[in-house]
Amino acid sequence: MGKYVLQRIAYMLVTLFIIATATFFLMKLLPGSPFNSVASKLSDEQMAILLSRYGLDEPIPVQYFKYIAGMIQGDLGISFQFNNREVTDLITSRIGPSAQLGAQAMVIGSIIGIFVGMAAAIRHNSWVDYTANFVSIIGISIPSFVFAGLLQYYLAGELSLFPTAFWDGPEYTVLPTLALMIFPLAICARFMRTEMMEVLGSDYIELARAKGVNNSAIMFKHAMRNALVPVITVMGPMTVSLMTGTLVIEQIFVIPGLGEQFVSSINSNDYPMIMGTTMFYSILFISVILIVDLLYGVIDPRIRVSGGKD
Amino acid sequence: MDKILEVKDLKVTFDTYGGSVQAVRGINFDLHKGETLAIVGESGSGKSVTTKALMGLIPKPAGKIPSGEIMFEGKDIAKMKDKDMQKIRGRDISMIFQDPMTSLNPTMKVKTQIMEGLIKHQKMSSSKAKERAIELLELVGIPDPKTRIEQYPHQFSGGMRQRVVIAIALACNPKILLADEPTTALDVTIQAQILELMKDIQKKTEASIIFITHDLGVVANVADRVAVMYAGKIVEIGTVDDIFYNPKHPYTWGLLGSMPTVDSKEDELFAIPGTPPDLMNPPKGDAFAARNPFAMKIDTEEEPPMFKVSDTHYAATWLLHEDAPEVDPPESVKRRMKDITANGSDQKGDES
Repeated sequence: MGKYVLQRIAYMLVTLFIIATATFFLMKLLPGSPFNSVASKLSDEQMAILLSRYGLDEPIPVQYFKYIAGMIQGDLGISFQFNNREVTDLITSRIGPSAQLGAQAMVIGSIIGIFVGMAAAIRHNSWVDYTANFVSIIGISIPSFVFAGLLQYYLAGELSLFPTAFWDGPEYTVLPTLALMIFPLAICARFMRTEMMEVLGSDYIELARAKGVNNSAIMFKHAMRNALVPVITVMGPMTVSLMTGTLVIEQIFVIPGLGEQFVSSINSNDYPMIMGTTMFYSILFISVILIVDLLYGVIDPRIRVSGGKD
Repeated sequence: MDKILEVKDLKVTFDTYGGSVQAVRGINFDLHKGETLAIVGESGSGKSVTTKALMGLIPKPAGKIPSGEIMFEGKDIAKMKDKDMQKIRGRDISMIFQDPMTSLNPTMKVKTQIMEGLIKHQKMSSSKAKERAIELLELVGIPDPKTRIEQYPHQFSGGMRQRVVIAIALACNPKILLADEPTTALDVTIQAQILELMKDIQKKTEASIIFITHDLGVVANVADRVAVMYAGKIVEIGTVDDIFYNPKHPYTWGLLGSMPTVDSKEDELFAIPGTPPDLMNPPKGDAFAARNPFAMKIDTEEEPPMFKVSDTHYAATWLLHEDAPEVDPPESVKRRMKDITANGSDQKGDES
């Protein structure tokens, strides 16, 4: 097990290196420079000083190797845009709201989704099932920013139940969480229903019934765990779409999170900031995949990873 | 012998989009204490549905029992609520399933799966239940039960899993054991071991067994009595000797005739011509008439009643009516009957 995790971490490092390289060169292909907005006010000389100050006058390969060398030492450079603060500092100071929002949406959404899916499977072809189906189709097909707008209009505007925007305490997290959690809820409900239906039709459920096990024990002890395995599979990609979702949601609700900062850094060609945030998201994503893979083993003994004594 | 189970005019139907399928169309039989009753018949004849009805496991709301009684200890299981049935399932009546590869929960330790019934029905503490579970694994012949009990189903071979399934069924010393083709999914050497195990267990626990199979070789080996099912009805019922030496129903002849034996010289396998009738619209008269070379005019008009052949032997064919012509089973069937019974007695000789 330990050996397996180490091996996976080694692969992760390789993946991160490839991502860093690709992002670096793609970013350099973008037109414009970080100093576009002030370019007209500066003389050529001043511009040259500025460029050399940030090492942007060197050939791109040299810049690349310098950047990678810095990154290995944990130095992600200095932001051009945010008052010359260090990128690592900027990321850590902005991560709180994003992480809280993402985690709330993911955890609440998928737990509710799992139970909605179970209920739909248990009462299939009834109104419970049809309602669940309707909710999941809506949740999958309508993007989260539409919900964000609707929630702001009705719950914040018309009913004044929650604040419309900003990030200033628990009540401020309600609307963005709601807007963001509909997607994981819908996906989980859909998968859980399909899997539960299949599991409930299986021989081992019939055997459990034949033992005289009552219905709730059949659902929660016998069926749920088996149905969860494929649902865990979609959690990885779901986390990614949640991350991209937060970018937009943070803009709409004016949340001082990473996403908001990321978008503005792309707009202004803030190279170190783009690189830093991309690397951060990549690490997050790769770690989620690793966690999902490890979770499989916890839930399904058949997929316990090799490398140990098995 | 005491009757432990009486099935009277049991009918089971399933509602489908195309209409109602009459899977079991009025069957009657008794099960005596300590005996093994084999139910044989081809796929779709209603064997498995019958056992599901006995377990109260007909999937609702599609499946229904429109009429009939299943009397067990003075109570009618067919009309029992699921909640009451949960107390009987696994304790008084338990079931061995067909495919051991799929009938164990893959994410649950073998231990938990065996202990579950014990804790529920016999209110055992979990340490007591674990002791009993180890005993059960020993009883069904799993070596090193103390280690094996902590493992998951995927760590067992097919034959070993079927032993676990049997251990689960036996956990609470059931009075009736329903075995739905317990050896069909196993390879032949393992089949013999499992059959031996079941006979052995029956000797020890004196449970009554209903053994569903389409393998007549197995029937000859394990059963005391045999019921032959066709199109949702029992067409012939009798002791093993009645069915193998003196079969009366042309369908039984067909079944016996279509069984290949090691000694058979013919290149071609004998098969019953045609296919079973559509149970959504069962034919008028004898359901087997269309495939029966000995069918008479009355077979297409009226359903034959159960004719008594002897005290233990009944068959539903008009050929037994006093006005019917004398018909002997075809030569090839007679020859095969001899082969099967010879092999059957060989197998019986082996165990002693």
